[in-house]
Amino acid sequence: MRRMTLTSLTVAFTVASLLAALAWAQQAAPPTWKQGQPPSMADSTLAPIPQPPAPKAASEIPVDKIRVPPGFKAELWASGINNARAMTWGDNGTLVVSSRVAGNVYAIVDKGGQREVKVIASGLNLPNGVAFRDGTLYVAEISKISKMPGIEDKLDSPPAMEVVYDTLPKDLPHGWKYLAFGPDGKLYFNIGAPCNICMPPDTHANLSRVNPDGTGFEYVARGVRNSVGFDWHPVTKQLYFATHARDWLGDNEPSDKFDVVTRKGQHFGFPFCHQGDILDPEFGKGHSCKEFVPPLIKTGPHVAGNGVEFYTGSMFPPEYKNRAFLAQRGSWNRSEKIGFRVMMVTLRPGAAPKYEVFAQGWLEGQEIWGRPVYTKQMKDGSLLIADDYAGAIYRVSYQR
Amino acid sequence: MRSLVGASIVITVLGTAWVTVGAPARAADLEAGKRKAEPCAACHGADGNATVPGTPSLAGQHVYFTHWQLIKYRDGRRKDPQMSPFAQNLSDADMADLAAYYATQRLRPRPAITDPAKVAEGKRLANLHHCASCHRPDLSGQQQVPRLAGQDYDYLLRLLSGFKAKTVSDLDGTMTMAAQPLREEEIVALVHYMASVGTQP
Repeated sequence: MRRMTLTSLTVAFTVASLLAALAWAQQAAPPTWKQGQPPSMADSTLAPIPQPPAPKAASEIPVDKIRVPPGFKAELWASGINNARAMTWGDNGTLVVSSRVAGNVYAIVDKGGQREVKVIASGLNLPNGVAFRDGTLYVAEISKISKMPGIEDKLDSPPAMEVVYDTLPKDLPHGWKYLAFGPDGKLYFNIGAPCNICMPPDTHANLSRVNPDGTGFEYVARGVRNSVGFDWHPVTKQLYFATHARDWLGDNEPSDKFDVVTRKGQHFGFPFCHQGDILDPEFGKGHSCKEFVPPLIKTGPHVAGNGVEFYTGSMFPPEYKNRAFLAQRGSWNRSEKIGFRVMMVTLRPGAAPKYEVFAQGWLEGQEIWGRPVYTKQMKDGSLLIADDYAGAIYRVSYQR
Repeated sequence: MRSLVGASIVITVLGTAWVTVGAPARAADLEAGKRKAEPCAACHGADGNATVPGTPSLAGQHVYFTHWQLIKYRDGRRKDPQMSPFAQNLSDADMADLAAYYATQRLRPRPAITDPAKVAEGKRLANLHHCASCHRPDLSGQQQVPRLAGQDYDYLLRLLSGFKAKTVSDLDGTMTMAAQPLREEEIVALVHYMASVGTQP
């Protein structure tokens, strides 16, 4: 009897301590961006770059500062699009543009050199993902995917959004989604880790897919901290994606990544291993980086790789065919800023990929005037670049 | 379908020269902001210093903060029976002008009777919950993060309780998450602390 009492007392005490510890841990949780900051960095002044509430006027956008390779030209294609993010083409030539904190979805119609920007949905919950298929626009918010059938015919009186799939996690940190149709006709999107660094629930830190009617949800890749940009190789049809790495491990590590999925369900390391060869100081214990798929390219520390797009057009020189453009929105968690550019990747069988700058100039010293976030190829083979900081879209063309 | 923003923006290209029709963004106009703030004065005060309990002072608030809140009131993500109708018809330029006007007005801290024991407890909690990492150590706020120092007690209590109840929308979820572990008496203590801080401009 006495022993039993002691045991239950011990259990009660242990439970109470655990609860107290849990309560303490919950209470002490810093904002997500600061989470994982070691005490040695407590005095750091680094913080995410605030999103301006208004787009820059065309006259305030120094498009001449964008540097592109010889023969290429960058121009301002559209402006006044608050927080312009991902882009997708409608069948009839409407460019639909997403936003994040602005909560809007825009339609841009090119009428003989006149570009008209319309807000077709507003007040949405970080609607970063937009994808078009068979006349229907799909929009991904934090926890749901909705559709607007026949939207291109109704831009001035947009139809109600119809929910396609709404059982996604509601977490806001890394909860905004990139959305795209895969070669298999399924909708692909990310479910990011709800933290800077943590042991994510099984439902998070992945790339997933669902049929356009909301059936057949499945995970495609695991251990993905947050990927808000991916595309399929035009020839191999394999899924390539960019990943943002964790913060607060210093200026130079870990690197963001460019990865490829070669088999459904592969694990890409988060939260155990970063950049393929650094074990996390906390979650890496008892693991080896060999357990996980290594990155194809270490794209650089804190560069914030967003857009991924393979080039399939014929306007650019022939060597550009099947190259990937990586839009890097740029760093905040680094003493000296890095990124704020569009990189390009040339995949080479049997050799390391070539990784080089395509467009830059949004960063001058430590000052920024724009943040390239996604690209979208035009029908004529030129390349649009969305800038969510300036609220603008640039067009890069090439002339022989 | 959520609320629609009727305005569309036409951008014209003539050769390589860009002409913007109905400029979507331009430098904020303080004089225009002062004029546009006249309908707001009944509640928020002519210079953004409100005296009605429960109504926030806007004087000295940061441009990004005020502008983002107006956007959220207009598109319905933030709702208030009195405020929402005022925001419905604001243009982007109106918002920029109003935000710029209020940011340049000098804040007069709101009178508050605070309990020293609660203030001390609130200060401890503010430290524990990392409030200063966004709102700054003096609670003066920055960019899209509001100034709390000198703000109205009833308003702070309503907002922080609303974040806890998930009935107040914040820009990126940070405040909603921060408020979840707070108990009711902790919210009260935090508000006592906030209301006690800040006579500095």
